[in-house]
Amino acid sequence: MSLSIDSIRECLDGVIPGLIATCDADGVPNMAYLSQVQFVDREHVALSYQFFNKTRQNVLVNPTVRLLLTSHLTACQYRLSLRYLRTETAGPLFEQMKAKLAGIASHTGMSGVFKLLGSDVYRILAIEQVPGRTLPRATPAVNYLTALRRCSIRLGGCEHLESLLDTAGDCLGSEFGIQHLMLLMYDEAGQRLYTLASRGYPDSGIGSEIPVGAGVIGVCARERTPIRIGYTTAEYAYGRAIRDSAAASGLAASLETAIALPGLPEAASQLAVPITAFGRLLGVLYVESSADLHFGYDDEDALVAFAAQLGMAIDHHRQVAETAEEAAAAEPGSAKPAGKTLGVRHFAANDSIFLDDDYLIKGVAGAILWTLVTDYAERGRTAFSNKELRVDPRIRLPGASDNLEARLVLLRRRLDERGAGISLAKTGRGRFVLRVEQPLQLIAG
Amino acid sequence: MLDRDSAAFIQTGVAISLAACGADRMPNNARALGCKLVDGQQRVAIFMRLSQTHALVANIRENGLVAAVFSLPSSNRTLQLKGSDAQVVDFDHADLMLIERHTEAFLREVLPEGISELAVRTIHDWSPDDMLTVVFTPSAAFSQTPGPRAGQPLGSRP
Repeated sequence: MSLSIDSIRECLDGVIPGLIATCDADGVPNMAYLSQVQFVDREHVALSYQFFNKTRQNVLVNPTVRLLLTSHLTACQYRLSLRYLRTETAGPLFEQMKAKLAGIASHTGMSGVFKLLGSDVYRILAIEQVPGRTLPRATPAVNYLTALRRCSIRLGGCEHLESLLDTAGDCLGSEFGIQHLMLLMYDEAGQRLYTLASRGYPDSGIGSEIPVGAGVIGVCARERTPIRIGYTTAEYAYGRAIRDSAAASGLAASLETAIALPGLPEAASQLAVPITAFGRLLGVLYVESSADLHFGYDDEDALVAFAAQLGMAIDHHRQVAETAEEAAAAEPGSAKPAGKTLGVRHFAANDSIFLDDDYLIKGVAGAILWTLVTDYAERGRTAFSNKELRVDPRIRLPGASDNLEARLVLLRRRLDERGAGISLAKTGRGRFVLRVEQPLQLIAG
Repeated sequence: MLDRDSAAFIQTGVAISLAACGADRMPNNARALGCKLVDGQQRVAIFMRLSQTHALVANIRENGLVAAVFSLPSSNRTLQLKGSDAQVVDFDHADLMLIERHTEAFLREVLPEGISELAVRTIHDWSPDDMLTVVFTPSAAFSQTPGPRAGQPLGSRP
């Protein structure tokens, strides 16, 4: 069986740099180190184009090149015969390589020197293993196929979005050994992502936001493609990326900044995978580690498959919650709560809510809570359905495709974290009740 | 041709590799295991493994054109030498100690990068009956240290 690029992808991440040999019109050879080789598919790889150097000049006159790759795991060397096809200067492939190069540049002290000008796409003509002694390949710590099988069964058994999110976090921890992760939902109209679940951080950061295009997560969302970095890089660090991107896009005023994005202070390895369903972006799954080169191509493949299943399930639960016609839950007894009054203050400009003087949430989730407590205060109402909330003009959902169920999960989790005596309890598909433990005083700020 | 600084540099713990190209315009390249200067420091002798260089050797015998790259992992300093009079000669077994010394120097360079010693020793594995030497006179030298001056002839002014 001939060698396939699929089976030697550990050579591509630059642990041992590749060597590209070219020759000019007169047949004079030239050789250079390559920062990065990107797997495209079984027949193509892309090489980073950073400088207009002799390699570049030669490739343009003689597109056939030889690439020498070395596995840091098995010590195997491979000689690839390639033919240059084209250069891409924007889009998913370019962004994948740009992010990865930023990590490599930072790791090798070349920040500010390495800059991706283009992704040169080559057709693989042949792969030959160079004769020589090699090391046996270590058994991988995770059998991805078995892990995915178990995850699929567990995700498929979830009854609603909230249990799906919990199960997804459990699966990534127990099946893939991932300790630090975030799950963010896409707000298309707001061109941002909001954190709906996280694992492995002192503060959950639920409700925190990232503009589309900011950092690994934002670029993943913008390009609808996995973004993976193996080394710490300031260029994709979140604090800076969010500030720069929010300022550039004019989002700075409306972006949620009171809730800090969770995350490792010095993440070395980062991987963001888009969550999609039927061609639509729903969110991003983000995992990270403080170890260098923690996630490889196999991890990326496994999480892309996992995210595909997660996306279908999220979409299913959204539809079910919004179309459910189950009988309304009986309104609980209207016994008025006693005790100290809790002030609920609402600022209409950005739908921000403060409980007493403590900030809770703003935006869509803030508008939902204000609607619920207003109905409760005015009519003693406690039972609600997703279906009616979706069309309630007071909530102003940003778009027909916006996931109301996800907004409710966000609100529920923020309320639970706050422990302020207001909670939302599911009573059936697409139905829930508002529980209030203290008298409320509504204040329109 | 080779200045004293470059001559010393290529004999430190650098990664060494060699490329050649035949009439079919398909380049060939392979890793080398060390080098030395010969003929009154005028020529460079590079130690290669025969089993890994059949096509490369054929190219050299065809036209004598080579490109050799020397790169120091800890600093990224990289030098490319070109030659047009390369010859393949028998390996002198007295040079085995140069190979051993070079492997140790290279290990000191890459172990701090987190690459396993076993992997490096395996990549640099050799047997005495599988060795050959490529000798050439450097006719051009280029700095390939990443940065704005990468690719410029050595000694040129910005």
